[in-house]
Amino acid sequence: MLFWVLVSFLTACVAIALMLPLLRGEKGSAVAARGDVAVYRDQLAEIERDKASGLVAADEAERARAEIGRRLIAAVDAEASERRVRDTPRAGLLAQAAIVVLLPLLCLGLYISMGRPGLPDQPLAARLATPDGDIEVLIARVEAALVANPDDGAGWDVLAPVYARRGRLEDAVEAYRNALRILGDTPERLAGFAETLIAAADGQVVPAAREALQRALSLAPGDPGVRFYLALGLEQNGRADEARAAFADLAASAPANAPWLALVQSHLARLGTPTPTPQPAAPAGPSTADIAAAEDMQPADRKAMIEGMVSGLAARLKAQPADAEGWQRLMRSYMVLGRPDEARQALKDGLSHFPAKSEPGRQLLALAKTLGLVREGL
Amino acid sequence: MIVELGHYALVLALATALLQCLLPLVGVLTSDPALMRTGTNAAYAGFGLTLLAFCALATAYVTSDFSVVNVFENSHSQIPVIYRFSGVWGNHEGSMLLWLLILSFFSALVAFFGSHLPERLKALVLSVQAALAAAFALFVLATSNPFLRLDPAPGEGRDLNPVLQDVGLAIHPPLLYLGYVGFSVCFSFAVAALIDGRIDAAWARWVRPWALMAWSFLTVGIAMGSYWAYYELGWGGWWFWDPVENASFMPWLAGTALLHSALVMEKREALKIWTVLLAILTFSLSLLGTFLVRSGVLTSVHAFATDPRRGVFILAILVIVIGGALSLFALRAGTLKAGGLFAPISREGALVLNNLILTTATATVLIGTLYPLVLETLTGAKISVGPPFFNLTFGLLMMPLLFVVPFGPMLAWKRGDLAGAAERLLTSALLALLVGAVVLYGAWGGPILAPFIIALGVFLMLGALAEPAFRAGFGKLGFMLALRRLRGLPRSTFGTAFAHFGLGVTLIGIVCATAYQTEAIVEMRPGQTIEAGGYSLTFDGLRPAAGPNYSEERGHFSLRKGGVDAGEVWSSKRVYTARRMPTTEAGIRTFGFSQLYVSLGDSKEDGAVVVRIWWKPWVLCIWLGALLMFAGGAVSLSDRRLRIGVPARSRQRPIQAVEAGE
Repeated sequence: MLFWVLVSFLTACVAIALMLPLLRGEKGSAVAARGDVAVYRDQLAEIERDKASGLVAADEAERARAEIGRRLIAAVDAEASERRVRDTPRAGLLAQAAIVVLLPLLCLGLYISMGRPGLPDQPLAARLATPDGDIEVLIARVEAALVANPDDGAGWDVLAPVYARRGRLEDAVEAYRNALRILGDTPERLAGFAETLIAAADGQVVPAAREALQRALSLAPGDPGVRFYLALGLEQNGRADEARAAFADLAASAPANAPWLALVQSHLARLGTPTPTPQPAAPAGPSTADIAAAEDMQPADRKAMIEGMVSGLAARLKAQPADAEGWQRLMRSYMVLGRPDEARQALKDGLSHFPAKSEPGRQLLALAKTLGLVREGL
Repeated sequence: MIVELGHYALVLALATALLQCLLPLVGVLTSDPALMRTGTNAAYAGFGLTLLAFCALATAYVTSDFSVVNVFENSHSQIPVIYRFSGVWGNHEGSMLLWLLILSFFSALVAFFGSHLPERLKALVLSVQAALAAAFALFVLATSNPFLRLDPAPGEGRDLNPVLQDVGLAIHPPLLYLGYVGFSVCFSFAVAALIDGRIDAAWARWVRPWALMAWSFLTVGIAMGSYWAYYELGWGGWWFWDPVENASFMPWLAGTALLHSALVMEKREALKIWTVLLAILTFSLSLLGTFLVRSGVLTSVHAFATDPRRGVFILAILVIVIGGALSLFALRAGTLKAGGLFAPISREGALVLNNLILTTATATVLIGTLYPLVLETLTGAKISVGPPFFNLTFGLLMMPLLFVVPFGPMLAWKRGDLAGAAERLLTSALLALLVGAVVLYGAWGGPILAPFIIALGVFLMLGALAEPAFRAGFGKLGFMLALRRLRGLPRSTFGTAFAHFGLGVTLIGIVCATAYQTEAIVEMRPGQTIEAGGYSLTFDGLRPAAGPNYSEERGHFSLRKGGVDAGEVWSSKRVYTARRMPTTEAGIRTFGFSQLYVSLGDSKEDGAVVVRIWWKPWVLCIWLGALLMFAGGAVSLSDRRLRIGVPARSRQRPIQAVEAGE
């Protein structure tokens, strides 16, 4: 409300400032003497000075004086004729209308189409003081604390997986590295570190990741995730036999209902065939390579690319809606693009396929809550 | 709310500019004084509103309000507060807002100091200024709006380019823009005069202070930019003939020409048409510079972001403004009356020569800057026109001009006495030759041209001093009397002397720093020693350190001269945490006007570091000269005759003086 009061006040002030000369009309105008007359008079004085200091010869000064004198007379004449012109009628009414009507209309129209009048200022200090639910600010707060005290291992430990989940892979790698340096090895930390390195390398199990995985395995032998990535590394290195053995081992030790069993078996199937089949098509939507490419782009291009990928994902989900993860990704993408309405629509569409009571449906709702799409109790 | 209020103020500023453009123009066309007078208040309002918008954005920057896209993209909460503030114009949107702010500031200045202008002229000038402001406000709002918001707001910004996190950013752009945009007033005066069809000596008198002000700011703005590049980029260079530098240098050259031709016009009512054309061209070159830098045609540290829409928009402004003004010029120039006559050997003649050379030089720089662009557009071939081209063409052109500079002020108006002027400059010339000979002897085997150009620089300096000395009558009259007369000389005489003296100082700095610098690139291990400029530097090793938003490796060097301790130099390599961007901080140690410049390169595994060391003799003179030129401009500006609002109050005095004289 105060905002609109100030807006009206500002507009009114400008309108009044513009109207004043029109309202005052002729009364306020003591006809200012013409400036050029003053200039010529001043120049006459200057010639005297120049002559005195030897800047012009005496006869030249005389001639110049005559020259300026002629201009002075012409200027004085012009001044007199200008006084006579002043009695013309005023066309002020139209101008007043333009100021009173056009100014507010134009400004309000333009502003409302571009501005966000309801959006309050959000200085960082105030947000840090009351960070309810603002995940970005929570991250910023931990970051600020770490700048002050970079040897706080717990801070890095908290931050690392958060970075990784938000796609800030480089930051995540750095945070894991600091946490490992300060707090030492744990299987979880090492596995997270390795996973982030692999994600940052477009899915390649790079040597640093392999080394971390082996350290993790020595601390917690039998961890299926760690073993999977190690096997994947072998496969990528072309050591098919060792990879097949490792995957087979993993499959053999897996409980029957392990959700990752299908993935292991698909790798086994690929390694089992004598001629390697081409890689199965990656699920549509941004791949790590795409994201890496996006990082190097101009903001406008990046936005266009993200939007292209998101609309691709939306089209695919329309055709094959039985993809709970896809719906989650779509909702998140829409929120990143600042299109909450479409995110809400995605939630609705997803829920129409996965009932809210089912596990995927519950996950969808939980995500919607963290994204701020729905209020508690819906 | 502050941010949104700033946004609204900017919109209101656009609307105000539109009205400020239209109402006074209609007033002039219908001879309605009330309408003409609306321009004044509108100019104040426009400035106030733009200032409000600017302050709102600055508040968002200082408080790290990342709900503003512009702040999110170009700031970071860990940056020290001064750089958070100067970061307002460390990006495209903010710097365009600063451009607009300064434009409206000049409009308000014209409104304030223009009380003695004829009403029609003042109304037209304000109207043209407002047309420019409206075009740029529209540009900002439509393509580069700094007030767009993000909801939800990110928790941290993407950081300001570390190269820009420097006091240089706080100083260089505002000064440069004061210069660039200051010439808009001259442009508006020229267009107003063309519309009105009346132009006389008084016009030149009114334009000259604005040209002087803009020129002074541009001079010091360019110099500060050069010094900033020199110490920040770590290459030891201070001028690269980079298109972005040329973009600011061209208006400076044209502006220098304008300054001198306006003098002729004011004094002698000659060169009218030419002066009007120069006023238009100077600002056109400013606009061209803005286009080159802002459109992304050139990629450099200045092209913060590139977006084709922006380029097209600025190009449209460029075409309309320059094309419109030149068409008007073509239409009206014929109706302007040519002014007084003069002999070739006269002060006017010298100034015409100055104008000829300066405009040719401007054209040279323009060709060197645009030719690669045009060629790339037409054929796709990428070439770069570098220092060899500019040094040869531009340098060659400037030499005769520099030689003539001391003669100009010595010549009388209308008909000068060349022999007399030469006689008065004889002492200066002999002293200069003596200095040149000493340098030639001292630096035997060095670059052969350098001593001669140094002599030219000394001649410039001494010649500049000789003029007021001659006017005061030193040597002819008694010392005390001459001193009294010196005090009585008009301030503009001193302004001229300062500026020309500064030119000589800069010339000497350029020649010495170019011809006599020594450069060494060596791999140094801790404990190793190297010689540079008569000093021996010992590398003591690297030490880690941390700043507010960066960590750095600082290399320490101890200096000795002739075995005696001569201080120390720190040079560092920084990594800014937010962008993970490395920068080098050169270590600079000043001895008199000379500097020792140490920059760190890559470090090796075994503790060795690649170190670049320059000895730059007299290098500070380059910028010191520019400061002197600025001072000259300021002194000239304080001359009573030019003081902008003067005639209303002091009109009586000069008249009485004339009467007393008669």
